[in-house]
Amino acid sequence: MKIDHSLPLEYSTEENRLKIFGFWIFLGAEIMLFATLFTSYFVYEHRSGNGPSGAEIFELSPVLMETILLLASSFTIGLGIHAMRLGKQKAMMAFFAVTLVLGLGFLGFEIFEFTTYIHEGAGITTSGFTSMLLTTLGTHGLHVTFGFFWGLAILLQVKKRGLTPETANKSFIFSLYWHFLDVVWIFIFSFIYLKGMM
Amino acid sequence: MDFFNRFAIPHPSFLIYASMVAIGLTGIAVILGITYFKKWGYLWREWLTTVDHKRIGIMYLISALLMLFRGGVDAIMLRAQLAIPDNKFLESQHYNEVFTTHGVVMILFMAMPFIMFFFNFVVPLQIGARDVAFPRLNAISFWLFFMGAMLFNISFVIGGSPDAGWTSYFPLAGNDFSTSVGSNYYMIAIQIAGIGTLMTGINFITTIFKMRAPGMKLMQMPMFTWSALISNLIIVFAFPVLTVLLAMGTMDRLFDTKFFTIGDGGSDMLWANLFWVWGHPEVYILILPAFGLFSEIISTFARRNLYGYKSMVASMVVISAFSFFVWAHHFFTMGQGALANSFFSITTMAIAVPTGVKIFNWLFTLWKGKIEFTTPMLYAMHFLPLFTLGGVTGVMLAMSAADYQYHNTMFLVAHFHNVIIPGVVYAMLAGLTYYWPKMFGFMLNERIGKWTVWLMSTGFILAFIPMYITGLDGQARRMYTYSEATGFAPLNMVAFIGAGIMAISFALLVYNIYYSVRYSPRNIGNDPWNARTLEWATHTPVPEYNFAVMPQVKSTEAFWDAKKHGHEIFKGKIEKIHMPNSSGLPFIMSCIFFVFGFSMIFSIWPLAIISLLGILGCLVYRSFEKDHGHYIPVEEIEDTETKLRGAK
Amino acid sequence: MKELFPIKQVMGFVFSLILTAVALLVYFLDMSFTAGITILLLTAFVQAGLQLVVFMHAGETEDKGAIYSNVYFGILVALVTIFGTLLIFLWDM
Repeated sequence: MKIDHSLPLEYSTEENRLKIFGFWIFLGAEIMLFATLFTSYFVYEHRSGNGPSGAEIFELSPVLMETILLLASSFTIGLGIHAMRLGKQKAMMAFFAVTLVLGLGFLGFEIFEFTTYIHEGAGITTSGFTSMLLTTLGTHGLHVTFGFFWGLAILLQVKKRGLTPETANKSFIFSLYWHFLDVVWIFIFSFIYLKGMM
Repeated sequence: MDFFNRFAIPHPSFLIYASMVAIGLTGIAVILGITYFKKWGYLWREWLTTVDHKRIGIMYLISALLMLFRGGVDAIMLRAQLAIPDNKFLESQHYNEVFTTHGVVMILFMAMPFIMFFFNFVVPLQIGARDVAFPRLNAISFWLFFMGAMLFNISFVIGGSPDAGWTSYFPLAGNDFSTSVGSNYYMIAIQIAGIGTLMTGINFITTIFKMRAPGMKLMQMPMFTWSALISNLIIVFAFPVLTVLLAMGTMDRLFDTKFFTIGDGGSDMLWANLFWVWGHPEVYILILPAFGLFSEIISTFARRNLYGYKSMVASMVVISAFSFFVWAHHFFTMGQGALANSFFSITTMAIAVPTGVKIFNWLFTLWKGKIEFTTPMLYAMHFLPLFTLGGVTGVMLAMSAADYQYHNTMFLVAHFHNVIIPGVVYAMLAGLTYYWPKMFGFMLNERIGKWTVWLMSTGFILAFIPMYITGLDGQARRMYTYSEATGFAPLNMVAFIGAGIMAISFALLVYNIYYSVRYSPRNIGNDPWNARTLEWATHTPVPEYNFAVMPQVKSTEAFWDAKKHGHEIFKGKIEKIHMPNSSGLPFIMSCIFFVFGFSMIFSIWPLAIISLLGILGCLVYRSFEKDHGHYIPVEEIEDTETKLRGAK
Repeated sequence: MKELFPIKQVMGFVFSLILTAVALLVYFLDMSFTAGITILLLTAFVQAGLQLVVFMHAGETEDKGAIYSNVYFGILVALVTIFGTLLIFLWDM
């Protein structure tokens, strides 16, 4: 493998550059995946049948906590990549670990939110609205869950193998994924929760 | 016993039992054959674990031809049932199942793998690359597609086929009206194949953007590569819609969610809406590579540069965006207002403009060309008028007010077969004939090939033109029979005869392959068609690494210009070549996907959870795996090159 | 320690928190639907752009053009799908 030392480690081989580019294309597909969920959500927004409506079940505090946790985790993983580019493996791993913990916190609040909904009679089988709400949030939540384990695997590899072109590349791609999930959450926060409570 | 009852066929008939026996016997014969000839090791090493884009391409081709046979048999059964009024050949349930599987198989499991074959086999060669960007991912794409197709095909012998049409509209496809597991098969088999397709899209966009030969700018790529790029771009943005849609449908059927129900706030119309948000771009995914192939073939056999290269590219870029702006023309009669219908009516008519530009460019390429009527060119010459006819009836359908008359009649069926058969199918067969020598080192027989084309066009015209007329007279699609009094009988008989002639032409194609394997001359060189692009500049058969030395490109018609002006494409000396390693993981993971899909379809939850964990396990294994590929040493390349040159 | 916290990213984070706070106004203040949705659209898209440029480094390589075109194309198709569907299902049904 030819390594080009003039570039950051994650871009240093041809294979690495291909992978980063390919992942950007994948994110394009993810845009459309979530756009489809949003499209459907807007159609079902007021189709709540005999179940509760959005305004009746949404609560600001858990949602705000989730938002702050995810925004912060997006910030820390950005710092992690910055540390990686400075070659500081320890700092980078610390930032990645903080990111994953914040992600776990987000998931904790989301699970709490879901159980509350189900207690209030807004389960996945209640109405078109609740089916769609929980599917949209659930898809994002599953992405975060998947990201948690993915990040964990990468953290282990960085620990075992150090910062190589391969591990740096994986870490950078993971950071793209994680930032993207934050972007999606911003839209969920604005157009599902805030719009629903407006 | 209760557990096994679910696997029984809900609507058995003699035909189904007969095919069950046939499938069983064929399966046993294949397994015995491989064991007898001791080919298991060879199969595993050279095919099941391969990451070589050429071999994956050939596997796509074999799957597509098999599925063409399956979908073709379905088609013949449909036409046979309609050939005479009040026919009892198929009863209504069986007819529903057959038109459903005909549509799904032909679009998703025949046409899609056929274009995937061309992407895989042609694109890397055409841009002077040694493989695709992510060879391992490419193998996963193929195996996921393959397992999805197999899963869909076992439906008619285990548990029952889907029967709600290839569009599978709710509420018909919901649990209330489709009680068998058929529609579960639809949701899950297509989901698995669709994930594979999405990965192909990402893979080829990256390949085309990042792996072109030195010197080949974007605006110097061969037209087929351009069409592949645009088609893959549409895949990347259209297939996620299908993913979400099928997931919603699956949840409605398995977990009782309320997406497409009638009450409880569900919206059955959203299925139709999202289906076509994916479905309309999907038809452009199929037709653009067909356009690309015809561009290559027409310019090769008119012996002229393609006329209007830039406008060809521009029109495809416009189509890629517009393909997402027209979806509602599939359901003008659903109940939305005049404003919405007018908007989609206008965008639909507008999309005919870039397509028209392409037709004129092909005509201008032919103008003053030294046309040579080879079999691929003959397909192209039949394509031009027939496809234009289909396009014009498409503009008729685009008028939303008039569509109230055409909607769901045979007129529509005639229209889309009229664009898909002369457009996609002819392109696939023309391309197959064109690239056959590059794959296998001998040509298909020209005489039989031309007979095939003429028979196919005759059959096509007889089969589908009558449907325009019966459609305008009010024959609805998907009706399993009609009465004598309707007067549809004579034209439906003509259509049946046409379908029979098309079947004969496909049989002739198979015979041609057999004939040519036996009798075609083998020493045909690297460039039997006197073609223009880089894939013809390397050896036949193509070595594993494609090009010993990376080609240097200066123009659109790199190889043609090199032949004409005598400049050297392959400059520089041979160096060791880095190649990816084979891997069994894609095949194994896709097999687990098959088990996962099967257990989801039949709601066998423990198995579903175990196989899901298996899939995740494969991902973890891959993440921790160290795989740096291997190098082919210079001596070995030189040996291969000498041997291939000697074989010429 | 200081070099681990580049000013660009810290500012980006602070700015995204401010945008979140601005978006919250639609909850706390009583305003018309149009005003509210305008604020949400603005804050959401600015914040998404911020992530893309500051944190994801979308423009740092030679493939900048392709990456941005890909994202823009995605957004275009997404918006057409959303608004086209709304036209069919809500505004003109």
